[in-house]
Amino acid sequence: MDSLSNTIIEALTLLFNGNAELWTIIGISFQISSTAILIASVPAVLIGFTLAYSNFFGRRLLISVFNTLLAVPAVVVGLTLYILLSRQGPLGEWHLLFTQTAMVLGQITLSFPILVAMSHSAFQSAEMRAWDTARTLSNNSISAFVIMLREVRFGLLGALLAGYGRIIAEVGASMMLGGNILHYTRNIPTAIALETSKGEFAQGIALGIILVLMAFLLTMILHYIQGRGMLAHGR
Amino acid sequence: MVDKPFNSLEFSHIKKSFGRGRQNKRILKDTHIHLKQGECTLLSGKNGSGKSTLMRTLAGLIKADSIAISFNEQLLDNKKAYSFIRQHVMYLYQEPYMFDGSVRRNLGYALVRKNTDKIKQALKWADLEHREDTEAKCLSGGEKQRLALAQAWLKQPSVLLLDEPTANMDKHAKIRTGKLFAEFKQRGTTLLIASHDLDHLLQVMDRRLILENGKLLEVEKE
Repeated sequence: MDSLSNTIIEALTLLFNGNAELWTIIGISFQISSTAILIASVPAVLIGFTLAYSNFFGRRLLISVFNTLLAVPAVVVGLTLYILLSRQGPLGEWHLLFTQTAMVLGQITLSFPILVAMSHSAFQSAEMRAWDTARTLSNNSISAFVIMLREVRFGLLGALLAGYGRIIAEVGASMMLGGNILHYTRNIPTAIALETSKGEFAQGIALGIILVLMAFLLTMILHYIQGRGMLAHGR
Repeated sequence: MVDKPFNSLEFSHIKKSFGRGRQNKRILKDTHIHLKQGECTLLSGKNGSGKSTLMRTLAGLIKADSIAISFNEQLLDNKKAYSFIRQHVMYLYQEPYMFDGSVRRNLGYALVRKNTDKIKQALKWADLEHREDTEAKCLSGGEKQRLALAQAWLKQPSVLLLDEPTANMDKHAKIRTGKLFAEFKQRGTTLLIASHDLDHLLQVMDRRLILENGKLLEVEKE
């Protein structure tokens, strides 16, 4: 018991004393995940929008594919990209394996289906009448699309937060694609895995606290956004 | 005045069907409609006869199986026709959709550039000045219809298509809405109104069409 409380105190000390190594790991985590979500969100929202309001051959199949991809484990995504990016793989010439770029690619792949599925349902919840009205009011499709983005903004923000929550805490793909290199590709989840395997729990707990705090913060923001959305729709 | 005056606007060879194979149902069967500037046409027909489909097709919201558009007796090619429709034809739903935000914000969507003075004029025109800051989704049915008409007033389409605009309105609201239609006509806007409410539209109506078996038939004036 003493040992556990000592470890927690040590973890809090690491956090509040501004331990450089710890905060570098936190910084790398947020940098990689934020880049991934920013890159993935634009095409994902466009695909979600197209799936909601366009009628084309294979649309239902595509929706099923994205829904299936939601359940793919991070480690499978990591393995697939590892094979593609490894020296013998088709993209081996790019020399991306064990770089931050590879981690970003992995996280884009992981967040993409969530962003597509959630933005699709956000657009669908606004019904066809909304899109028709936006089109009839606007002189071109881009301004109609902008009206729709605003109309479903709460759903889209929810999608971004859910996607972010999924990738900031994943360990499988980051470990395989980044290689857990200190000051370069070591992020919060891979650092926790490493420190735990060494029996060094203090840093793991400190990083765990950050992840739990962030999960709490994301949930609070999501609840707030959903509440605003319901108020705005008169519910 | 409307932004694009015209002598004649003709939509011809309009065909539209839904479903495939045995499920296929032809709603519009090679029909045509000729519109003149500032004219008000009442469109009637049984429920399910395809009035909404026809109007949404004319507004470019549904893709027709075939359609030819002539403007001032000149046939427009497909690309030009679509762009023409987007800029000059406006369709209003029976229950207009209101976007998230105030009445003022919803009016702003009808303008390319924000113009507070124009929005104020539109609010006054539709008698919605007292509702300027109200959440548009919280308006009554009649107020939503007036707001949608105010959006059309701002956008100034050459052709305004109205789908059952006076349905679910009380007598007072119907008279009020009828006056707004008359003002559109004075401006030179062509109106095509799908409605069963003949009594309240008699004063603005110039002619009447009936959609029957996928074809439009003109009703002789009594």
